[in-house]
Amino acid sequence: MIISEKIISNISVLTPEGSLDAATVPQLKNFTAKSEVTPTLVLNLSGVDFLDSSGLGAIVGMARNKRESGGDVVLACMNDKVRKVFEITQVARLFHIFDDLEAAAGYAEKQQKSL
Amino acid sequence: MKTIIVIREKDYRWVRHVFPDIHPLLLPICNKPYIEFLIDFSVLSGSREIRLASDGPLGEVEAYCENGSRWGVQTSYASIQGTDDLEVVLEKNRHFCSDGRSLVINGMVFINYDQKQEYKTVFASLPAGELLSCSGGSLMLTGVPENSGSISRSCPFSISSIDSVSLYYNLSIDILNDASTPYVLPGYNNEELCHIGRNVIIGKSAEIRKPVVIGDNVQIQGGAVVGPGAVIGSNVIIDRESSVIRSVVLAHTYIGEQLEVEDKIAAGNMLIEPESGASLAIEDPHLLTGIKKSGATVPFLRYLLHTLVALTIVVFQLIPFLLLFPVLKLQGKWKQRMQECFADMSGKTLKLSETAIETGGPISTIAAFLSLDRFFLLFRVLAGQLAVIGSRPVPATSENRDLLNRMPGYRAGVFSYAEAEDWPVEADDMAIVERFYAAQGKPLRDITLTMKALFNRIHDKSLP
Repeated sequence: MIISEKIISNISVLTPEGSLDAATVPQLKNFTAKSEVTPTLVLNLSGVDFLDSSGLGAIVGMARNKRESGGDVVLACMNDKVRKVFEITQVARLFHIFDDLEAAAGYAEKQQKSL
Repeated sequence: MKTIIVIREKDYRWVRHVFPDIHPLLLPICNKPYIEFLIDFSVLSGSREIRLASDGPLGEVEAYCENGSRWGVQTSYASIQGTDDLEVVLEKNRHFCSDGRSLVINGMVFINYDQKQEYKTVFASLPAGELLSCSGGSLMLTGVPENSGSISRSCPFSISSIDSVSLYYNLSIDILNDASTPYVLPGYNNEELCHIGRNVIIGKSAEIRKPVVIGDNVQIQGGAVVGPGAVIGSNVIIDRESSVIRSVVLAHTYIGEQLEVEDKIAAGNMLIEPESGASLAIEDPHLLTGIKKSGATVPFLRYLLHTLVALTIVVFQLIPFLLLFPVLKLQGKWKQRMQECFADMSGKTLKLSETAIETGGPISTIAAFLSLDRFFLLFRVLAGQLAVIGSRPVPATSENRDLLNRMPGYRAGVFSYAEAEDWPVEADDMAIVERFYAAQGKPLRDITLTMKALFNRIHDKSLP
């Protein structure tokens, strides 16, 4: 799995590419632990083509950690397959989900400023 | 032109309360699901792409509408939060709304349109902003008018809210009574005020009085009177000498012999008085009852595999159980209590024993490692009452009945899917895992997950 990071509107945008499953979750966790991401971050899921329950757990866990420290995780650009996983598990209720990366970063920035 | 339909759980709470088995967007109005009226209007407005955005589950709607090719449009789906205002919803769907104009249908509103009209040019000349509003929601446009030279201010359609059972009933009856109905209604129609579906069997002495709409697979027995003003859903049986007048009978309902249904809504075994909203559950299945939908039975393969797995675990646990159970019982460490739990989505209940092995001592540890606390429950799998792996049994209370509606594919199991995963730390996490695997419906995977659950329990630090 390839994970890249960039800054849009002063917000860290993480872009994992490939499958987000039990095998690749530690990679994502290591990346977020090492990287100096902003309190609120955007997870760009446009490159994620497969997501299992472990991947879901990693995203939920990441959001929990961020929220405990006053930040949040905003999701962007998920494909239909990934959206369905969020829909059936009702995890979609827990996140702000955008179909546009700039809009997600803009929203995250507003949230971060209001902290 | 694109259409975005924004509907929140708070907009349709009353539907969930009155018709718990029907998704509000699929609520039939004269046998046509509500969402189809919205799609028809969107198509008439010139939309080629429709997005449904909701804070509630959309799975059933998605299964019904699929990709929208049936209507010649492309449908997509999006999740929003219940607290999002319209501005945030549009931001969340910025990419969808980015090019051209977008029609926003906000709330559970009914649009009074005419299928013979063409609204494409009307929408091209209407200004951006809110077009119409009512207590249940609004209609608005975004983007610049295409015909900026001739901006029109009048809308040749109106909206009304559907926020109570009486409004729903009146709307259905009004559409039914309109001889020149402006909507396309389902069923065969070669005369005014009469729409009849496929595979409708009408007994010799039965009487059909217009106006009437009858769905597919309906049996109307001899001596029965249907109409005037009857909306009969699909898969309905109206037994001998019964009458259905000025009433709505929803799909999968059996109307018993000599029953008079007048100015009512019948749904399963519920008889609803539309004006007051009062409902009465009929206990006698010979009078009024729901007809079971096919496919509700447990697939045979899953039952077979679960039984085999349960049998294997029973054989494996039998000797340790016979040796350890009497000792733990004598030590008072084997605590057992009975609890009424929901068995599956239908709301069927089961009395299950919940066992807890008190901590302390090697015997307790071995019993917990071997999951002997689940030994008795395994026999329920053999009886076809429980799954070997599924959801944690939910106690049968009225509050939890609503919770069950939020757990698609719920089936109580001896082991929980959540026990097969390492990450759940809270009850909400466990529910996520359970919903994930319940939706997959792969019996062979269940075997692997059961093994994982057994293995994880050995390493569970919370066990004695």
